[in-house]
Formats: sequence, structure tokens, C-alpha cells
Amino acid sequence: MAAVTSNSTREEQVKALQKKEARRRRLPLLPALLFTIVVTQVPFLMSLYYSFTKWTVTPPSPREWIGIENYTDAFTNMFFRQAAMTSVIMTLTSVVLSVILGTGVALLLDRKFFGQGFVRTLIITPFLVMPVVAGLVWKNQMFSAAFGVLNWVLNQVGVESIEFASKFPRWSIVGVLVWQWTPFMMLIILAGLQGQSSSVIEAAKVDGASPRATFFQITLPHLRPYIELGVLLGSIYLIQVFDHIVVMTGGGPGSTNVPLFVNQRSIGGGWRFGSASAFSIVVVVATIILATFGLRVLSGLLEGEEAA
Amino acid sequence: MAEVRFDAASRIYPGTEVPAVNELNLDIADGELLVLVGPSGSGKSTALRMLAGLEFIDKGSVFINDKDVTLAPPQDRDIAMVFQNYALYPQMSVAANMGFALKQQGIPKDERRKRVEEAARILDLEPYLDRKPKNLSGGQRQRVAMGRAIVRSPQVFLMDEPLSNLDAKLRVQTRTELADLQARLGVTTVYVTHDQVEAMTMGHRVAVLDHGVLQQVARPRDLYSKPENRFVAGFIGSPAMNLVDVDATNGIAIAGGTVPFDDSVNVANQSGTVSVGVRPEHLSLVTDGTPDSIAGEVTVVEELGSEAFVHVRTKHQGDDLTLVVRDEGETSTQRGDQVSVAFTGPTHLFGADGERVGD
Repeated sequence: MAAVTSNSTREEQVKALQKKEARRRRLPLLPALLFTIVVTQVPFLMSLYYSFTKWTVTPPSPREWIGIENYTDAFTNMFFRQAAMTSVIMTLTSVVLSVILGTGVALLLDRKFFGQGFVRTLIITPFLVMPVVAGLVWKNQMFSAAFGVLNWVLNQVGVESIEFASKFPRWSIVGVLVWQWTPFMMLIILAGLQGQSSSVIEAAKVDGASPRATFFQITLPHLRPYIELGVLLGSIYLIQVFDHIVVMTGGGPGSTNVPLFVNQRSIGGGWRFGSASAFSIVVVVATIILATFGLRVLSGLLEGEEAA
Repeated sequence: MAEVRFDAASRIYPGTEVPAVNELNLDIADGELLVLVGPSGSGKSTALRMLAGLEFIDKGSVFINDKDVTLAPPQDRDIAMVFQNYALYPQMSVAANMGFALKQQGIPKDERRKRVEEAARILDLEPYLDRKPKNLSGGQRQRVAMGRAIVRSPQVFLMDEPLSNLDAKLRVQTRTELADLQARLGVTTVYVTHDQVEAMTMGHRVAVLDHGVLQQVARPRDLYSKPENRFVAGFIGSPAMNLVDVDATNGIAIAGGTVPFDDSVNVANQSGTVSVGVRPEHLSLVTDGTPDSIAGEVTVVEELGSEAFVHVRTKHQGDDLTLVVRDEGETSTQRGDQVSVAFTGPTHLFGADGERVGD
């Protein structure tokens, strides 16, 4: 009979079917994959190549292979080290402040009150504003010594106007970043809070825990994976911040971070593509290390959810 | 050790008119295991939460040991509660879960450890003290929740359907263990369940609630043999009591069979539509032609091994009526048989207002 086949033929048939199935799954992914490779991986490899060359555009000179010289430069260059330090400080302070504020706002929004949904939407809006727009709005409408709302408020209480963006360039930028990223942290932490069983809180009440003890001993440990996730995503994004700085201070004292620095060294006027490439490769490697560490946290979070 | 008293306590949820718990009066003796039972929405959990301090008491008062705790927060009531989903603290080990309340009271670590270990020994939890709740089975989690309660040696245990998340077999086993544990510790316990079998088997007394109103409080056997109203009669017992609406104008009969009542019931005084209740075990299948028997056709036979429940369809006041009759196990009765049913035991009569008539 036709239906009766030997075992080996059946195995081959199953294998062929599996192969077909696998191809059918991969095929729809292919366009996106190709696009990603063309726009990210090809430029990356080119940058990698440039980073081992001496290549300046003004005055034009032929590319020249110089090995790791750009990298040794990067680690001895004082300006690069400063920019790296600025990146670390700006990222850390912005992330930490927005997580703390976001947790606070999330705790408030977790209570039931009239107009809760409306307030939540309003609070999310800063995150929806484009970075350049946020930078311009804060520079011109909020911080400006002449027209700024903040200075108007200061004037009302008898304080002289302060040109925030030029006097405190780094902290002005951190302020805007916190304003933009607090809603994001709030969303993640709010999701965590709403995932907490209300009976756990009630159990703590019955067990005699004060609101403070309940928060620190029960709610905060519960929120830990969510906070980690927020810190991870925030760090990955904030380490690349560029728009705000260009718009607000143009890299004024203490506000030049690595992306801006790389930009200054290359298409932003320095035209030294070789060394700028080396700088950016260093940043990529650092970011990959951070992201790998972070992804492990993320998968831990997902596993924890499944087991619970 | 404590007595608990509800004094006309009511809870009206904001935005609703009908109280979730309506003027509940209940006295619970020291060391008693009182079961609150009722269908969903009966207010049994609300009543428990009022006692716990997790719901406001809009009217009336609640006393623990003659101390008015109506407005006291949960932590000032010296109660321990076991939640339906156990509400264990997921990030804490079993030991930390059990010791949490003691830690809040500022009891030193050594003392805490000692008391946790003692409770763990009672509940066979010793090997699991360092595990997280997510690495425990359902039955073990339930025991941790119990352990968290007993570690504190509270005045009152409150249990909100603590067994409903267990599978059927474990539930029956844990039911017995829980009742035994309660008796050994002698702590006053209020136990909420929707399962009337649980209520009957565990409760020293059972309080039946419906729509926030207390229907009856009694020992399980009294609840079963002398239900005070039609609701309790229908709710307690499995399978349920046969309840038949009868026009009482010309004596009380079901499908032609006159219903016998004991001497305390004056049938002649009844008028309008009354309800007759008779439990399946107080009906029997008899030979045709027995006086005052009800003729009908068998529609279903539920064979349980030791006994069988036979559903007999008959005509009563022009409508189909199905009576459930208890028969012996391995009965020869089959679907489609023509049978006669006779009253062989006590019957209950509920007046037009649903209240019990006679003793």
C-alpha cells in the first residue's frame, strides 16, 4: 500500500517538512533583516575599518592604515575622557532621578481617584515630545533669562534672572532628560505596582506592617525587576543623548558627552573620521557590555513572571 | 483567646444602595470555629473583612473580647488572616513570610526564629523554610499561609476560603487537618466558605448568609434537620432538599400524594402558596398502589456506589416536577421506569413568607 513506507523514508519526509516549515518562518523576516544589515551592520563594519586608518577630509588626504593608534589616542585623549565622564554622569543622574521621581508618581497614580486616566495621560506626554522639541521648549520657554517661565517665577520672588542653559549646561540638560524620562519610568513601575496582588498588601496590614515597612519590605522588592528594566532601557537610550545637547548648549562647558564629541570630531567640523570612528567603536563596545548585562536582567524578569 | 461579637454591623459599599452586609448580629464564643457560608454575593467575605479591619463598618459595631474595634486598624486588632490566594510575600523565604508579623512587632531575631520553627514543625514545613513561595506546591503554600497566622498566636483566626485553590482530594484532606489544628490550638476562628460541605464538616456552628442578611446560625446538624427558612433549606445539603411550591387551600399534597407533617404543623391554618421541603433520604421508591404515594417516571439515576439518587419526574399542579429520591447503591432502577415515591421521613413546611412553620 502507498501509505506504508519504511522508517527511513518517513524520517526523511519529516525532515523535509521541518525544513520547509523553518524556511516558511524565516522568509517573512528576510526583508527586515536585510534592511537592518544594510543600514546598521554595513556602516558599523565600515566604521570599524575607518577606526584603524588615519583619514582627514580637510586638508584632503588619502586614507592610511595606522593600526590601533586611534584607540591608544582615544584612551589618552583628555577631551574624550572628559566626554566619557560627562556621558556617565549625565546618564547616571538622569536615570536615577527619573526612577525615583517615576516611582513616586507611580505610587500616587496607583491610588484610585476621579480623573485618574486623564491625569495619567497628561503625565505621560513629556515622553511623547520629540527630543529636539523638548530641548527647544525648555531652552527658550523655560530656561531663557529673557522670556523663561522659570526666571519669571524667580523674579516674582525677587531673585535675579539666571541663564540656566549657559550657566549650568550639564544640569539644565539633566533636568530636561529627567522631565522626559520620568513618565517612562512611571509607566514601567506603575505596571509593576498594578501587577502586585492587593491581598498581599492587605496581608501586610493585618500582619501589623506600617505603610513605610510595607513599601520598603514588600512593594520595593516586588518592584525591583521593573526598576532594573527601567534603568536598563533608560541607560541605553540616555547614553546616546545628542539632540538635547546640540539644541540647548551646543556642547557648552561640561555638557559635551561622547556622541556630541564624536560628532564634533567628524561631520560636526573636525573632519577626522578615523579617530572619530575609533571613539564611536569604544562607545559601541561599552554599550554592548551594558546591554548584555541588561538583557540578562530582562530575561530574568520574564522567567520570574512565568514561575509566579 | 477571644470572643467576637458583631452588633448590628452593616457595610454599604460607596455608590450602592443595598448593604453588602445588613445589620449582622453574631456572637462567637471563645475557641469556637464559626463558618460563614453563603452563595457568592452573600456578604460572607465582607463580614470577615469587616472583622479584619479591611472594610469600613458603616453602621453598628464589632467587638473582640468586649473591646470595641469598630474603627481600629487591622494591626490593632490582634487577628491573623489566611487569604484565598494565600497572599504570601513572593520575595521572601517561607521563614521570612512566617516571621514577618513578628518582625513588625520588633521581636528579636532569635525569638522569631524559635517561633517560626515551632510553627513549621506543627505544619511539616521544616524542610521548606528557606524556599521562596513560587517553589512550593499549592498545598505547601496553603500551609505557609496557615503558619504565618499561627506564628503570631493571635486572638482570632480569620480564614477566607483558604481551601478553594486546592484540588479536590487535597481539599478534603486539608479540611480535616485544619479542623484538627484549630481544635488543638483552641483559637477562635471565623471561616468563610461557599462550600456547604466544608461548612457542615468543619464548623462548630454555621452562619448562613444571603444578600447580606444572616439567615440562620446553628450547629450543622440543626441547620440540616431544622432549617429556619426556605433559603437555608435549599442551600444546605447535597443533593439539595426537594422544595415544592404547593397551593395550601385544600390541604397540602404533592402530585396527589398528601404530605405528612409532624404534630407541630397545623396544615389547616395554611393558605396561599407554601413550600414543602423533603430531603432525598426521606423519600423512598415503593411498590405501586401504596397509599399517598406519587407516581412518576425515572429520568436520571446518579449511582454513587454506596447510594444512588433517582430523579423522578411527575406532574404537580399542571407542571413538570422532578423529585430527587435516595435509593440504595447498585439499584436496579433505570431511566424510563415507572415508579411510586412515598414519604418516609420528616418533612418541612415553609409559609408564604419563606419562614419555617412548626418545630
